[in-house]
Amino acid sequence: MDRDWAEKYRPGHLQDLVGNGPAVRQMYEWARTWTPGTRPLVLYGKPGTGKTSAAHALANDLQWEVLEMNASDQRTRAIIERIAGAGSTTASLSGASRRLIILDEADNIHGTADRGGAKAMIEVIRRSGQPIILIANDLYDLPKELKTVCEPVLFRAVQARSIVPRLRHICTLEGIACSDIALRMIAEGAGGDLRAAVTTLYASAIGKSRLDVEDLYTSRKDERSTIFELVAALFKTRGDAELMRMVQEVDATPDTIEQWIENNITYLSDIHAIESACAYLSRADEYIGYTFRRQYYTLWRYASALMVLGVSHAAAGSGLHGKIMPPSRWGKMRRSKRQKAIRISLMNRLSHLTHIPPDQLREDYLTAIALLIEHDPERFVTEWDLDADDLNLFLNDRKRSAEIVRRVAGKMKNALKAPETLKAPEEKPVSQVKGRKSDPTTQSTLFGGYPHE
Amino acid sequence: MEGDHTIWIEKYRPLKLADMVGQRDIVMRLQSYVESGSLPHLLFTGSAGVGKTTAAVALARGFFGETWHMNFRELNASDERGIDVVRNQIKQFARTAPLDGANFKILFLDEADALTSDAQAALRRTMENYAQSCRFILSCNYSSKIIDPIQSRCAIYRFRPLNKEDISEEVRKIAERENLTVTPDALDAIAYIAQGDMRRAINALQGAAILSSHIDAKMVYETTSTARPEEIEDLLNLAISSDFEGAEQVLAAILHERGIAPNELINQCYRALVKRDMDRALKIELIDHLGETDFRLSEGANSDIQMEALIAAFVLSAQKHT
Repeated sequence: MDRDWAEKYRPGHLQDLVGNGPAVRQMYEWARTWTPGTRPLVLYGKPGTGKTSAAHALANDLQWEVLEMNASDQRTRAIIERIAGAGSTTASLSGASRRLIILDEADNIHGTADRGGAKAMIEVIRRSGQPIILIANDLYDLPKELKTVCEPVLFRAVQARSIVPRLRHICTLEGIACSDIALRMIAEGAGGDLRAAVTTLYASAIGKSRLDVEDLYTSRKDERSTIFELVAALFKTRGDAELMRMVQEVDATPDTIEQWIENNITYLSDIHAIESACAYLSRADEYIGYTFRRQYYTLWRYASALMVLGVSHAAAGSGLHGKIMPPSRWGKMRRSKRQKAIRISLMNRLSHLTHIPPDQLREDYLTAIALLIEHDPERFVTEWDLDADDLNLFLNDRKRSAEIVRRVAGKMKNALKAPETLKAPEEKPVSQVKGRKSDPTTQSTLFGGYPHE
Repeated sequence: MEGDHTIWIEKYRPLKLADMVGQRDIVMRLQSYVESGSLPHLLFTGSAGVGKTTAAVALARGFFGETWHMNFRELNASDERGIDVVRNQIKQFARTAPLDGANFKILFLDEADALTSDAQAALRRTMENYAQSCRFILSCNYSSKIIDPIQSRCAIYRFRPLNKEDISEEVRKIAERENLTVTPDALDAIAYIAQGDMRRAINALQGAAILSSHIDAKMVYETTSTARPEEIEDLLNLAISSDFEGAEQVLAAILHERGIAPNELINQCYRALVKRDMDRALKIELIDHLGETDFRLSEGANSDIQMEALIAAFVLSAQKHT
């Protein structure tokens, strides 16, 4: 017994996958009807939800060969083209009908070490004569150009009640008697991450023939619960020593704790208390700023002391009136990160089109461009190949942007259906935009023309 | 002791899990891994000197015996930590077969939170694809600095700061082996200095042992350049009771006669203040003064001027709050 259980019990067939039925059906349907020209899939979702397993299981079920590239491989343009490019166009040697190319961790194409990697991936996708599956944790971290040519498949967090039977099954195979409560605790502690649950089971059960609650080793991702406890303790009457001990035990850095406290400060009932708490928090925040600016981590303790003792002092044991919430700024940051990614990629594209450096474009021309677009959005959607997200940056109206883009796409389709239009690609109006839509057989926005290449 | 110049933290690093002091629950679990010959990927979190590295090395010895070096590799922050190392060196080590009949090798990545997130990302499939031939032990101060996909692959063990009993037990053990006598108040002093960090405790003991084989608290404070807790209390009492001149004299004695570094003094005042039973608003204000002074010193300000200003600020705050 020396194999890591997460690997040993990695599902070999689609039917063995836990949860995510809709995603698995979507994958199977995609594979069954796959022809050269079908869009690749991008499987995305949190760690441990079965993305990589599903891709391999699909290939196994259909007896396709697999070629996997992940972040542990260098992925420069040259290397991706050599490996995946060859894999995607040459016929398979072993006689299997197809070869599935799995580009794992596609959201982690490394900036400098993998120069040109994203472009190469698109190239490979465009030319591929073989099915391709990309895998990522977050769809928004994918280069936009990659995202638009793929069909997304969402993998959701696996529910605890689906995890429990899987754990029980493993216990049976390993000959371990395991109490139901212990299994449920493992499943619930895993936060939707099946692999984490299996790893916890493995780590707890090694060398045992029977597993009870007290055998569970306790450290799995419990930082949340203690950070909850810490925030709750701030509103109660607690001694300084106890509060400082809790801060030390919370497995998070002061900048994280600060955001948790900030988000729950409004539970103070009295405006003077809020003012006082905010003052302490802002002073703590200064220390956090100095810490990072100077890389002088000793200052962290002043941040901790000021925010914890300060906010507790301001709260004066007034009790907690409401439910402790995780920091909302994380959500905001996530959204703004996405906005930023959209903006940067659009700026770079426009910069190429207009031959103006991105910075200058943003500072000197953006207002003018926004006004022009506001005036005649459809034209720019067509000319610059904007999608709804891009357009929204200018119009700041999500609904309207989506509508306009849909309308333009509809018109485009109709125009292409008309028999005499645009038979030969050369007759297209000269446009600097690469990859304008020309082929009605595909819905892809950027690389419609690949059968012609 | 004559002629023995080895560093005690290495000389007395426990070779077997069973010899480790503290972290009882963790050590028991790890022990059962050795007994059954199985090992999941592990993530050790905790502050310095609480036994993370010792546990990793002891695990390797437990699994591989005398030839543990052949199947164990340690990478720490002094090694190159970029994505290329993960892709080349680590992958190379992980995928080659274990030697000497072992079932797998162990790669110990110390200070894994210093890995860039790109490097961490490059690690995740390596951990899975070569799990057959290599198990990973990662150690870090805060698990929140380790990306979720890696946490998902590891059994997480949190090492706690060692308590006074653990520290004293180890110090007594070493003292016996080195033929030292250590007075009870010296044990207290060592525990005070250690702050849960065994390395610091053993260093303090070795430092004092240079002076004499009979160790008392005074020697411990002297060789570690630490003010005695009573001196700190003295300083704080005087400042809080608005005796500026008295406080200044104690300050001068600590800094100039005893030669305690201003940083160390600030550190000790901080610890004393957090624990001190006193008006809370004043306490927080004084801690803020400490922080401000610490920051200014780190920026290169003159320590004599800043420390005196600190005491003055203490006195003013104390007057305001009475």
